[in-house]
Amino acid sequence: MELLSFGDSGYGDELFYGALITVQLAVYGYVLALLLGLVFAIVSLQGKGPGWWLFRVYASVFTGVPSLLIIFLFYFGGAELVRGLFQPLGIDIRLDVTPFTAGVAALGMVYAAYLGDLIRSAITNVSKGQFEACEALSVPRRHMWLAVILPQAFRIALPGLVNTWIVLLKDTALVSLAGLNDVIANAKVAAGSTKEPFVFFTAALLFFVVIATVTLPLVNRVARRLERGERRAEV
Amino acid sequence: MRFDPVLAWDSMPALLDGALMTLLVTFTVMAVGGPLGLAVSFARMSRHRALAWFGAAYVSVCRGAPSLILLYLIYNGLAQLDVIRDGPLWLLFQHAFFCVTIAFSLNHSGYIVEIMRGGMQAVPAGLLEAGAALGLSPRQVLWKIRIPIAIRYGLKAYQNEAMLFMKSTAAVSAVTLTDLTAAANEIFYMTYDPFTPIITAGAIYWIINNAMRIGFGLLERRLNRHLAIA
Repeated sequence: MELLSFGDSGYGDELFYGALITVQLAVYGYVLALLLGLVFAIVSLQGKGPGWWLFRVYASVFTGVPSLLIIFLFYFGGAELVRGLFQPLGIDIRLDVTPFTAGVAALGMVYAAYLGDLIRSAITNVSKGQFEACEALSVPRRHMWLAVILPQAFRIALPGLVNTWIVLLKDTALVSLAGLNDVIANAKVAAGSTKEPFVFFTAALLFFVVIATVTLPLVNRVARRLERGERRAEV
Repeated sequence: MRFDPVLAWDSMPALLDGALMTLLVTFTVMAVGGPLGLAVSFARMSRHRALAWFGAAYVSVCRGAPSLILLYLIYNGLAQLDVIRDGPLWLLFQHAFFCVTIAFSLNHSGYIVEIMRGGMQAVPAGLLEAGAALGLSPRQVLWKIRIPIAIRYGLKAYQNEAMLFMKSTAAVSAVTLTDLTAAANEIFYMTYDPFTPIITAGAIYWIINNAMRIGFGLLERRLNRHLAIA
């Protein structure tokens, strides 16, 4: 147990700060995926126009390729990619891509493809009467989406959103292969210098398992709150 | 951003070798993880408290942990234990491929347990009762009715998991196996071209991914050929 203590004698603090980086990476990546996914969902709901096709191609590419490969692509080539994108506009951007930014961008863009589909199908599953009622009451479009449709779509999409969160959290492990000092990289350093790999990798494993297990009861409470307007069948 | 077709063509043999390793890992793990997952799903559904608890713990650990950590734990962590290091098992655990198979099979089978459990519980009770009424033994009801139907119910979920897991094998490069991602990385370090090897490797992954989708589609058609097409 001394190995896992905080301070100079143990690696507890290193693991703890690594875990914070992992959680931060996962949260940023998830928020990015959620925002992009929402845009994709709304664009692809407009029917089979250019937006729909663009999203289909995007989704096919980003779900057909391992996230690790995308992480490497952004880490090795991200600076050049961004420069290439902005140069035609006459803007010269030179940026340093850290493993963290590459990880957020890669995970966000990969999972946006999954979330886009999920959110789109949730919106199409909101009953049509809700849209028609908004029309009949001449509710402004912005309020229709924010106050009526999206909250209901959120309830429908919740199980898939949680699933994606857990998958994304586990995928953050891959960013350590691009050199991010997350919980896994720190466990590896600790394992190497103490020659006790079993202890540290088990600790890192438990971190992920605990977060995944804690998420579920938390989500059940949110789900119950979201369902408060629904009639439950008497059993 | 440039794509260099000459480099892509020249690196094709190395990338295809890597792709072969990716496929080998994928199919080995599917072959090992499938029966393992089926066995644990029986434990998960068991009436014995201890067995059911073991099944639940197995699922939450194997599904909750990233496969990269399971891989490190087995490849680096187990070597520390004297039982493994000095015992006959070391002959197996010193090979990266063996460790990869074990780690990914644990992960893959964790998903299969839940898919099979869901499928088995969804089989209509009437079918099982009809089997028993026709004089089939409980064993026959299980193997000839319950499991085949559960497989059909779970096929779509299994397809999603198998395709996700094929892509997650990209992590095996962390323990010295040269799969498709590792091969692309090696070419990057030789040429410092960040786009060509990774995009070419991505295209090969994309083809494998879609070949799996088509394969599962055919399998589904074959398994459901008795059903009227809606």
